[in-house]
Amino acid sequence: MNKLIHNEMLKIIRKRKLIVVIAIMAVLISLFTYAQFREVQRQIEKLGDVDWRTTLQQQIVDTQNRLTSSGISDEWKAQLQIRVQQQQYYLDNNINPAEPGAPTFVRSFAQESITLFVPLLIMIVAADIVSSERSAGTVKLLLTRPVKRWKILLSKYVALLLSISIIVVLMGLLAYVISGVVFGFGGWKAPILTGFTSIGGELNTSHVQLIDQWQYILMEFGLVWFVAIVVGTLSFMLSVLLKSTSASMGVMLAALIAGLILSNLVSSWQSAKYLFMINLDLTGYLAGSSPPVPGMTLLFSIGVLAVWAVIALFVSFSVFVRQDVY
Amino acid sequence: MNKTYVTIVSFLSIGAFLVLLFGFSWTIQNQLSKEKSTVREQPQVEEIVNEKEGKTIVALGDSLTRGTGDEEGKGYIGYLVEELEEKTDEKLTLHNYGVKGYRSEQLLNQVKGDTIQNQIKDADVIIMTIGGNDLFQGGQTLVSPKQDEISLLKDQYVRNLKETMELIKSINQDAVIFLVGLYNPFIDLEDAATTTAVVRDWNYSTNLLLDQYPNTVFVPTFDLFQLKVNDYLFSDKFHPNSKGYQLIAERVASLITW
Repeated sequence: MNKLIHNEMLKIIRKRKLIVVIAIMAVLISLFTYAQFREVQRQIEKLGDVDWRTTLQQQIVDTQNRLTSSGISDEWKAQLQIRVQQQQYYLDNNINPAEPGAPTFVRSFAQESITLFVPLLIMIVAADIVSSERSAGTVKLLLTRPVKRWKILLSKYVALLLSISIIVVLMGLLAYVISGVVFGFGGWKAPILTGFTSIGGELNTSHVQLIDQWQYILMEFGLVWFVAIVVGTLSFMLSVLLKSTSASMGVMLAALIAGLILSNLVSSWQSAKYLFMINLDLTGYLAGSSPPVPGMTLLFSIGVLAVWAVIALFVSFSVFVRQDVY
Repeated sequence: MNKTYVTIVSFLSIGAFLVLLFGFSWTIQNQLSKEKSTVREQPQVEEIVNEKEGKTIVALGDSLTRGTGDEEGKGYIGYLVEELEEKTDEKLTLHNYGVKGYRSEQLLNQVKGDTIQNQIKDADVIIMTIGGNDLFQGGQTLVSPKQDEISLLKDQYVRNLKETMELIKSINQDAVIFLVGLYNPFIDLEDAATTTAVVRDWNYSTNLLLDQYPNTVFVPTFDLFQLKVNDYLFSDKFHPNSKGYQLIAERVASLITW
């Protein structure tokens, strides 16, 4: 079994997929860092001084103004309302929600990337993990070995899990190192609030906890990793089911983008909350933004995602074991 | 491909896997335990020290301060700052806390916040527009003006404004406060006589209150919009347009002396 997994890791590495993923991450993180840097510059220019309380107060006022403009959707309005109350809470407790430094960048980057960026990277590795063997014909060589089919598939899946893990960790490291050059490397111990919940557009602060930023980041990356595994597992299933890699990538991509669009639309469509792509924004629960469908919680979303992943695994194995290969 | 290289990557991946698994289970454990709030009051760190370079303007109030209706999005505050920057060499810092739709009680609430008070403390000039939403309520009041209702609204407004002024004065005695008065956006409609009377009376009450405080100026705008009101109003027939805002800005700018 170890040999098999080693063999699969070798394939992933030899195809230079990890290198490609790392390169994409490095380029994009540099871009985001630069954008963030410009934003900070603009703030300083506009407000003159750099005290965070001034900036935060200004953000609150700006959001309040956006709230009063007509023609914004109810979903978006609820989001903004929660955000204002949260910012006010930070301000009242004298806690800076964006302590300057690389850890803050890493934190917000993980939050932004969980719904689309990370899943896309994972698809690069996962989408062709089985189907490429079939299109190249190597699957026959693999299956003629005296090893059970499910073991072969399992070794592929384990190799996928390992690559996902290292990609997520590398993303964190890259974000830290690249943004640290610009913003400085300190700020791990900065206080962060988590545990906000929203009930009917009102912010509930009775379970709010104050934790260090490094704890928050660790939790966040745990969630990013979980989402990555679920997306990876689904792509893995598609890779088993569909002969063409581009088809399985296309299906996955369509689902992810549909999820992004739907998240802004579905607050009145209750049963949408059982779709996996609506549940991807797990870090939003940590930060306390209002969920796409009212009543969704972190554990609910994790549960839904887990069920999807388990079903996908089941389908993958039962199909792969019985499939005719020719 | 080097075999040891693959092995190293594999072991690093296993390490990554374990760390992330730990993070994930910690999150779940944390969410399940649902502890009571642990937020303790953070020690109030040192007073905000704003570099006292140049002059600071703090703008408070409603949509006029925000600039609603201005095609360029500046509002009278934007034009005012531009004009002042031409006049002086000093560096100007503007803090615009205007929120669309604010009524006097909301302004009072806002001014009670610590951060705003810190900014007010450092201000050299404070400019406000308030009262428009108290009186007009989005146009409701003047459609069917009832004397007793309006005087009720006015009493509330004057009380809130008084408290606001007292608060500001207690924080910063030296700043000059400019309060921009109301104009009558309905002067073109029938019933202009009634609406005009109401607005004038409202402005008079404001002015009367402001007279009690030193360094406080009531800036009338009624006359600016009196003759060609439609040239100066935005398409909602309520907020000023760019030209209207420029008129207000010119008037306030001519009053500001450092």
